[in-house]
Amino acid sequence: MTAALQVSGLVKRFGGLVATNDLSFSLQEGESLGLIGPNGAGKTTVFSQIMGELRQNSGTIELFGQEISGLSTPQRIRAGVSRTYQIPRPFGDMSVAENIRVGLMPDDIWRMIVSRPDTDREKELALSVGFSETDLGRSPAELAMGDLRKLEMARTMATAPRVMLLDEVFAGLTVGEIAQISDLIQSMRKDGMTFLIVSHDLPALEPLIDRAIAIERGTMIAEGSFSDVMNDTAVQASYLGGV
Amino acid sequence: MGLRWFHYVLWGGLISGMFLLPQVVSNGTLRTMIFANYLAIFAISWDVLSGRTGYVSFGHPFLIGIGAYTTAILTKRFDVPVEISIPVAVVVTMIAGLLVLLPALRIRGSYFALVTLAFMELLYQLVQVIRPDLTGGTRGMSGIQTLTRGAANGYYLSTALMLSVAVSMWLLMKTRIGTALAAIGMNEESVRGSGLSTTRLKAFAFLTSALIAGLGGAFYVHYLGSLAPRALFDINFLFTIIVAALLGGTSTIIGPMIGAFFMTFLLEYLRPVLPGAERYFVYGAIALLLYMYQPKGLVELAQRGFQRLRKGGLA
Repeated sequence: MTAALQVSGLVKRFGGLVATNDLSFSLQEGESLGLIGPNGAGKTTVFSQIMGELRQNSGTIELFGQEISGLSTPQRIRAGVSRTYQIPRPFGDMSVAENIRVGLMPDDIWRMIVSRPDTDREKELALSVGFSETDLGRSPAELAMGDLRKLEMARTMATAPRVMLLDEVFAGLTVGEIAQISDLIQSMRKDGMTFLIVSHDLPALEPLIDRAIAIERGTMIAEGSFSDVMNDTAVQASYLGGV
Repeated sequence: MGLRWFHYVLWGGLISGMFLLPQVVSNGTLRTMIFANYLAIFAISWDVLSGRTGYVSFGHPFLIGIGAYTTAILTKRFDVPVEISIPVAVVVTMIAGLLVLLPALRIRGSYFALVTLAFMELLYQLVQVIRPDLTGGTRGMSGIQTLTRGAANGYYLSTALMLSVAVSMWLLMKTRIGTALAAIGMNEESVRGSGLSTTRLKAFAFLTSALIAGLGGAFYVHYLGSLAPRALFDINFLFTIIVAALLGGTSTIIGPMIGAFFMTFLLEYLRPVLPGAERYFVYGAIALLLYMYQPKGLVELAQRGFQRLRKGGLA
């Protein structure tokens, strides 16, 4: 079966620093994979390479069998992979609905001009991540961190991804907000979404993933079920401090 | 972002009012308004690019100059009719707009602003030294064909042009393209992260801005009947365009229009009191105060006032 996402022999160097060192992993359609590691392990760098925001020095990235390394970020998104960011990046002077509208836009200037925004879909996406109808007109400045993450999720979902990369999706959230986002991810998993999730909040991450990989200094040091990875001596000894 | 009935009423009122104005004001005032109309066109052109996308152009007279020089040279030196020279000037300006786009693919912020300033300076130097027999060199050109006679006709033409540009840009920016361009100004990376090609969007913004600048530059030179490089590439002219857009309120279309009229009349009425360059000190001070206390411009100030009035009325 063709993997939803297949990363093979990925290498990224910043001068003398090897940020990603011959990393390979695959993700089947409908699967949820956790990517864990300490600060500076290179998790976000992996995301950036998958999205084309950083170009790898060598290695391949295939999305549903298609090599996407030569594509720009927008082209990769159109191919079916989208990400959220560790620090949400909303469009500050736009409402919640307008933020989602940008994600729903066709990458075609003529269609942007002649066709009307799909306000029903904007609303549907906003409600699906837990916003209420009255939130549609609110500005990001009025939103708490949990709402900003929900907005980021909604805008990412608006691009109709088949694979979603979630970066530190629980950072800065309250317990209630973590539960809300977790429920959302679980419901999307039930609908068949494929996830690659980075999180430092391991207890929150565990129920959301089928298996995990651990990296340190860009090198994979463990792979398997969440408990296998957490019990791995290399993982415990080297950077999780014996968790 | 949708169109409401009062939008049509407001535009209808503005258009009717502007076309009835020659019946009630003097020719002198009309001439001031003609300049305000062209300044509004230039400010809208600047705003479509810089106000929306955040790519601040310090070289807009470069685009205006390309439009003005192209039609002036074609009509005066080669006897090309204006019906052809003006569209050609607009197309040439749009090609020049793509030239300005190239640095924007790699740089933004103050570096981009400096590069655009360099474009303006480059053209200023070029028109003086390269083929002065065509460009008129440092003295510029005079005796260029004019399109209208008399202040009233000049006013009608410039008003029709300004309102056509304003209404079409307003309608265009009400569509999703306006949202997408504004999104670039807020967070370009997030626009790419939403699956949109920012290069294509920026190219659209630059081309649209250049189209308006070329159109404005070409018609303006056929109103003046002369072309003076020192005035066209004067830093005060550049700042007048930028301050008009900022003062009125960027990303609004109506803002740059209001800003242009405010600036023009302010400078005009200050002329008897402050005949020299001191006038620019006054508008600089007003601009500074407004940015400090109301950075979103006069339109926002008016909207807030209107909302307060409405709340007061309801209370």
